[in-house]
Amino acid sequence: MTKNKKIITGLMLAAVAIAIMMFSSMPSAGSKEISISELEQNKAEYVGEYLMTQGLLNKESIKWDADKIELQFEIYDENNVSLPVFHKGIKPDNFSDDIIVIVEGMLDKNGVFEAEKVQTKCPSKYEGEDMENYDVETHKQILGEQKD
Amino acid sequence: MYIIGNLSLYLGIGIAFYSIILYVWGLKNKNNKMINSARGGVLSLVLLSSIATFLLLYNLGTSQFQYKYVAAYTSENLPLVYKLTAFWAGNAGSLLLWLFLLCLYTGFLVFSKEKRNPMMPYVSIIMLLNILFFFIVIVISGNPFEMTETIPADGKGLNPMLQHPGMILHPVTLYLGYVGLAVPFSFAIAALILKRMDAEWIKLTRRWTLVAWVFLTLGNIIGGWWAYLELGWGGYWAWDPVENASFLPWLTVSAFLHSVMIQERKGMLKTWNISLVIISYLLTLFGTFLVRSGVLTSVHAFGDGNLGAYFLIFMVFMIVLSLYVVLTRYQLIKKETNPIESYFSKESSFLLNNLILVGGAFAVLWGSMYPLISEALTGTKVNVGPPYFEKVMAPILLGLIVLMGICPLIAWQKATFERFIKSALWPLIAGVISAIILVAIGIKGSFAIVGLASTVFMFASHLKEFYDGIRARRKATKESVAMATCKLLVKNQRRYGGYIVHIGIAVIAIGVISSHAYVKDTLQTVSVGEKVEIGDYQLTFNGLTEHSKNGNGIVVAALETSYKGKSVGTINAEKIFYETWPEPATEVAIKTNWKEDLYVVLSSWESKDKATFQVKVNPFVSWIWFGGMLMVFGTAIALIGGKTTTSRVYKMGIQHKKAGV
Repeated sequence: MTKNKKIITGLMLAAVAIAIMMFSSMPSAGSKEISISELEQNKAEYVGEYLMTQGLLNKESIKWDADKIELQFEIYDENNVSLPVFHKGIKPDNFSDDIIVIVEGMLDKNGVFEAEKVQTKCPSKYEGEDMENYDVETHKQILGEQKD
Repeated sequence: MYIIGNLSLYLGIGIAFYSIILYVWGLKNKNNKMINSARGGVLSLVLLSSIATFLLLYNLGTSQFQYKYVAAYTSENLPLVYKLTAFWAGNAGSLLLWLFLLCLYTGFLVFSKEKRNPMMPYVSIIMLLNILFFFIVIVISGNPFEMTETIPADGKGLNPMLQHPGMILHPVTLYLGYVGLAVPFSFAIAALILKRMDAEWIKLTRRWTLVAWVFLTLGNIIGGWWAYLELGWGGYWAWDPVENASFLPWLTVSAFLHSVMIQERKGMLKTWNISLVIISYLLTLFGTFLVRSGVLTSVHAFGDGNLGAYFLIFMVFMIVLSLYVVLTRYQLIKKETNPIESYFSKESSFLLNNLILVGGAFAVLWGSMYPLISEALTGTKVNVGPPYFEKVMAPILLGLIVLMGICPLIAWQKATFERFIKSALWPLIAGVISAIILVAIGIKGSFAIVGLASTVFMFASHLKEFYDGIRARRKATKESVAMATCKLLVKNQRRYGGYIVHIGIAVIAIGVISSHAYVKDTLQTVSVGEKVEIGDYQLTFNGLTEHSKNGNGIVVAALETSYKGKSVGTINAEKIFYETWPEPATEVAIKTNWKEDLYVVLSSWESKDKATFQVKVNPFVSWIWFGGMLMVFGTAIALIGGKTTTSRVYKMGIQHKKAGV
């Protein structure tokens, strides 16, 4: 073995260490992205797992308690399956229109989704062009496409 | 106008194609006339892309709403500067900007003093392939001169979040960086094709690479600055796929900048350097593919389906081309590469730094791609967020900082351990003392303390380098301190410029580590007269007021602020409701002093007497912006001077020995 090779071997070990670090922190740090329908069908299976899901906001369901800073609402997907969400934190801007809500968190035993993160999304976020298609149908379509 | 704009784009395709053919033909038949004609073609491409660029600027500036692009991104009452910078608000315009820069760079190259260099025709061909690709993509999927069917009375306006100085600079700087990487890539491939295994291509492209790198640095930092001021979540980096996409080439180019020094001096690591420059260039294409294709969920998503696919195709083409060239020359590169001679030398410490940087790049790439990989393998998409990146990157970046502290103290070729310990003694002591002080004043969090102490160590070892250099000069020449410092910088611009960049990184590291570890955060709903207390600050809510400006409704929350019991005036946190935009924008109230930012966001309200605020105290965030400026300053010093001829290298080697480094 030449000296050069030895050095490279040593450095490879460093690379392997990085790789191990990478893989070991992967499962704990990720959130599984699933649809509301799938979540509702296999509730028991997903309890306690860190999940991400998204759906359209049901305007009537919003309950905002400013003093406790608690937000409750329901989102539903294209099959009209809805999911109750609880969030201890701020209410996002424009939380009343027909928007897509992305939630990250865990499902509790009562079937309520405890969201750590609540984000809203509309297709127009950074692009001007989609503005003319700004209606619920498009959102639904986009929602459907993302699931595919 | 419509005709001129489109004509310049279509002509561009034709001329780019023509020039490539002439170059290839001219090279084959050794016909200089043809090569000269192709060179003329490049000049006319510069002209054509300039025409298209100025035309679009004109359309935007004068609100020609018959053009779709102008109508989609600007409106009548937009300030002129944002009308113009809407140039890169959308796909079509940003592609044109990219193309324009690419043409300019190619023009510079072809008419530079190296124009007779035998590599130049090959370099031009590769640059022209890029240009051709962009012309075609613009015409097919992002034509900024497309007309609307009916002329709208007013445009849709620019996204309010993009109406910010940061957004004037952020895209341009990033593009300058992205485009700049095409130059060293072209030179590397050209050198390989011609089987020139020396470091000539590296010397010729040193400045190009540095410029590209400093623009990438600036682009990322300005992006972070913008996000911090404008998005209102209190952070500056979210590990979003698109941010990662611009961080990836930065990491690999940083590695490249270090490893080329070894090839320049010692003729080592040739395969490695070529791979790095190819990978960096490909990563710029890959980043653009990610941004434009919408395959990943991201706040930056442009979501225009086809464009991503075109970039993917072009990327695959370039991968195949570079793989072919590298593999057919692999034996030759290997034969002419010198092996590394010692474990403990600057060479191997540079190699280690390279591996860490590339390892970091891989970790970031892996995390960004993981949603796709997991979906392909298991059927469920697993999203990877900041926790993963922070967990993996924190030790990697810590390793880099430690190494940055050690590297300057190690000699080339073969260092002795005793010598190293002797020169590392004071920096090490400085690091340990800072750790002790941090613990003594009650700072918690062992990883952050280790990080901060390592940063101090790194900073101190660079100070020591400056100190030693200045002292050696003064001994020899009896100059004053200021004079010696200036002369030292001027005589060794590359080395000390690089050190200043490192010091900039140390300053940034302090900002990043402390703003991650020691942020104070509270979420409160208060009525008029009630107080929010956080850190040394006390905020009294004075109620909401509403007014309108330029047709936009603005809700203002006035907060009377005191710092350590002393009143420091009233700050205003605002929400702006734009006439032309569905979502309100957040105007963060920020109060900055040298060690922390008070960061207040008005998040919602029940009545004009009751509102909810998110209040943060972010320590040392302004250091990040300052460190960024230092990095640019250091790079500028390294850029202005620093010849790369062998005699220079030889002289510097002697100086190194003299200085006992």
